Amino acid sequence: MVALFDYEENREAASAAKVRALEALLIKKGVLGSDSVDAVLKHFETVAGPFNGARIVARAWVDPAYKRRLLDDTPKAIAELSFPGMTGAEGEHMKAVANSESVHNLIICTLCSCYPWPVLGLPPYWYKDPVFRSRGVREPRAVLREFGVLIPAEKEVKVWDSSAQIRWFVIPERPANSEHLNETQLAALVTPEAMMGVALVPAPPATEGI
Amino acid sequence: MFTRFEEYAATQMLGQPDSPPRREGKLFFSEEWQRTVFGMALALSKQGHFEWDDFRQNLIDNIAAWEQAAYDGKSRWDYYERYTMALIAVLEQCGILKPGELEQQMTPDEANK
Repeated sequence: MVALFDYEENREAASAAKVRALEALLIKKGVLGSDSVDAVLKHFETVAGPFNGARIVARAWVDPAYKRRLLDDTPKAIAELSFPGMTGAEGEHMKAVANSESVHNLIICTLCSCYPWPVLGLPPYWYKDPVFRSRGVREPRAVLREFGVLIPAEKEVKVWDSSAQIRWFVIPERPANSEHLNETQLAALVTPEAMMGVALVPAPPATEGI
Repeated sequence: MFTRFEEYAATQMLGQPDSPPRREGKLFFSEEWQRTVFGMALALSKQGHFEWDDFRQNLIDNIAAWEQAAYDGKSRWDYYERYTMALIAVLEQCGILKPGELEQQMTPDEANK
């Protein structure tokens, strides 16, 4: 049993040394360019990485005119915020839908798990799950309940199926008691899950003195 | 429908046992070497040195080997340690690395760690 708790302190250092040696060896062999690792990762870190969607939602919450433009012409409205890498092919086919008092939107992809990477970053693991994809169409309320989102019977649930042509995302409802927050603080409340419609944006914790 | 190899490669892993750690929609690396080894595998496959699925099969096998290891004396779960082993294995399979070549490259002190 001792071995279980005998965590090798230098294990991280050993892995780091091994990866460093491997990289050096592959560069020496001419198999790997000295900047090819950074070039690949840059895609994740600037195009598909950052969760740009939160800023889009926060802007829509504070600026009703922006929200209208976002719903009317999503790519154009996103371009106004000038994120890096937003000119990618996926980004051009995005379409926003807004949750409201009467409608809740859920995004799925029944065919191939298309996803608005530039807005939401890496998809969560369940997004590609065939069960989630098929049940999302058939019984969206039950799927939402499993995610902890209870939709009242009188509220309509709309399911949007993303495809290579259109990649949907949700503008969630602005939470209660968030009037005192600025745009940056609001953006911090938004999650990728909320922008897929499988979560709501929770109200911020009450602040003293308000 | 993917127009970028990077997105194809990462999405193939989603929902599968070899899916990389993520946080808030981003890849999650706690150490720089994890980031490097992740990028190396992608870059090498993108350049055509091996099929992404062949790398993934090695990764899945490596993860399964850890899962099946005896509880006693089992090393703590480390995704990118498995990932590194899988990358070395696929590089040996496609002939880029000779078995034992990496160890020779490392100093005796590093190789024994």
